[in-house]
Amino acid sequence: MASLLLSACTPSPKDIEYGHDVCHYCKMTIMDAQHAAEAVTDKGKVYKFDAIECMVNFELENKDKEYAFLLVNDYNRPKKLIDARSSYFLVSQNIPSPMGAFLTAFENEKAASETKEKKGGEIYDWDSLKNSGIKGIKK
Amino acid sequence: MHRHAPYPLFLFLLAIFALPGDARTIIVCPSCEISSIKKAVDIAADGDIIEIKKGTYKEGNIIIRKALTLRGIGYPVLDGNNETEILTVIADGVTIDGLQIQNVGTSYTEDRAGIRMKRVKNFKVKNNKLFNTFFGIYLEHSKEGEISNNEIKGQAVQENSSGNAIHLWYCKNMLLENNHATGHRDGIYFEFVDSSLIRNNFSEHNLRYGLHFMFSNNDNYYKNKFMNNGAGVAVMFSKKINMWENIFEHNWGQSSYGLLLKEINDADIKNNTFKENTIGIYVEGCARINYTHNDFNRNGWAIKISGGCLDNIISKNNFLSNTFDLSVNNNANDNKFDGNYWSEYNGYDLDRDGVGDVAYRPVKLFNFVVNQTPEAMVLLRSLFVDLINFSEKVSPVFTPKNVLDNRPAMKKIKNLGSAN
Repeated sequence: MASLLLSACTPSPKDIEYGHDVCHYCKMTIMDAQHAAEAVTDKGKVYKFDAIECMVNFELENKDKEYAFLLVNDYNRPKKLIDARSSYFLVSQNIPSPMGAFLTAFENEKAASETKEKKGGEIYDWDSLKNSGIKGIKK
Repeated sequence: MHRHAPYPLFLFLLAIFALPGDARTIIVCPSCEISSIKKAVDIAADGDIIEIKKGTYKEGNIIIRKALTLRGIGYPVLDGNNETEILTVIADGVTIDGLQIQNVGTSYTEDRAGIRMKRVKNFKVKNNKLFNTFFGIYLEHSKEGEISNNEIKGQAVQENSSGNAIHLWYCKNMLLENNHATGHRDGIYFEFVDSSLIRNNFSEHNLRYGLHFMFSNNDNYYKNKFMNNGAGVAVMFSKKINMWENIFEHNWGQSSYGLLLKEINDADIKNNTFKENTIGIYVEGCARINYTHNDFNRNGWAIKISGGCLDNIISKNNFLSNTFDLSVNNNANDNKFDGNYWSEYNGYDLDRDGVGDVAYRPVKLFNFVVNQTPEAMVLLRSLFVDLINFSEKVSPVFTPKNVLDNRPAMKKIKNLGSAN
C-alpha cells in the first residue's frame, strides 16, 4: 500500500501515443517519432510536444516550473525518448523538424557529428540551445 | 557537281532535327526496342515526348534532367519495389501525365516520394495515380507549377511511418486542383508556401490533417472537401489565407477539429460548411479574421475560442443544432458577433424586421463547467443543466458580458454552402 502511494506521487514519463496525442504548446497532433519531446514536472504533470522547439519554448515561458524529466526523441532511434539535458542537438537546414526550427536531438556528441558530416549544420547542447536564438526558438 | 549534293541535304536534315519545337516522340513499351524508361530519358533531348505504353516497369530512381514530357498511355505502372523513390525531376518545364506510380517504401531518414520536383519551375504533374508511395508528390524550392487530377492513395495506418500525399516546401505560385488525397499523414501539406491556390480537391481519411498550412502566406483555398480526417484543416503561423466554400465534415475525436487556427491573422473564412465535427473551428491566438456566411451544422462546438483572439468578426453565419454554439475561455477576447442565425435562439421579433428584439448569448453556463471538468459532459441532457443554463440566462453572472449577438436573425440565412 505504501509503495502504491509512493509510486503515485513519483513523477514518471508517459509513452507518447503518436497520431493521437496533441502537442501541449502548438496543438498539433504528434506524428513525428524522431522529433517529439516530453516534459514531466516534479509534481508529475506530463506535457507532450510534437517538436523539440515546442518544449524549449514552453520551458522558456514557464520558468517557475521544476522538471523531473525533459525528454526528446533520439533521431537515430524513432520513438525512443532520451534525456534532453545530456543530449546533443543538431540544427541543420537539411533535416526539417515539425515547427520549423530544423532541430534534431542525438544521444551523444559523436552521433550528432556523424549526422552533421552528412547533412551539415550546427551542434548545440541543451543550455546553449536555449540561448542560441535560432529560428523557431524564443529569444 | 553531284559530289556536293549530300552536303545541302545533310544541312537540311540537321535543320529539321535542331528546329526548336520540333520534338521527337520516343515510344517505350515492354516489347519495344526501348523497353526501359531510364533508357528513353537517357537518349531524349529537351522538348521530347516520352510515350510510355501499358505495362509494368520495375524502375526506381529515375532522374529527369531535361525538359521532357512523360506521358502514359493506359496507365503504365512504375513500381519502386518498396525500395526507392521513383521520379525525381531536376529540370524546368517537365510534364508528368498519366502514370501509375506505386510502392515507394517508407524510410525514417529520407522523405522518399513517388514524384519529387526539386528546384524547378513551369511544370505539370497531372492525371497520375500514386499508390503506396510514402510521400506522394513532393515539391521543394519550386514555383509556377500545376498539380492536377491526381489520385494519391496511401496505406497509412501508423502515423510515424507515413508521409504526406502532396507535400510542398518553400514553393511559390502553385496550383493544386482536382486531386484526391487519402491514407496519408496530411492530405496536402504547405510549409513556407506563398501565393498559391488550392481548388476543388478532396482530402479524406488522412491520419492528421486534410490540409495543413505552416508559415505560409497569401494563399487561397476554395471548394475543397475535407472528410473523416484526424482533423480537417490546420492553418498555423500564417497570414492572409482565404478560405472559401469548403466543406469540413465528420472530423470526430477527442481533439478533432473541422478547422484549427493557431497564430494566424488577416484571414477570410466565407461560405464554408462545418458539419458534424467535434469542434467546427478551434481558434487560438488569431487576429483580424472575418467569419461570414458559414454554416455550422450539428457540431459538438461550432466555434471554440481560446486565448488572445482580437478583432474577429463573426457575422451572417448559421448556427444549426450544435451542442454548443460557442465556447470562450477568456473574457479578454474582443470579438464581434452580428446578425447570425442561431437555431437555439428563442427570442421574438415584434417589429417584424427579421431581427430578434433581444440579444442572443451564445455562451452557456454549462460550457464553463465542461471547460473546467470535461467529465461533466455526461450531464449535458439533464434537467439540472437546463436549470442552471436557464437561471444564468435570466441573470448572467458567469457568462461574458460582451459575448452577445445584438441582432440575431430570425430566419436561417441563405448562404452559398447551405445546400450541403
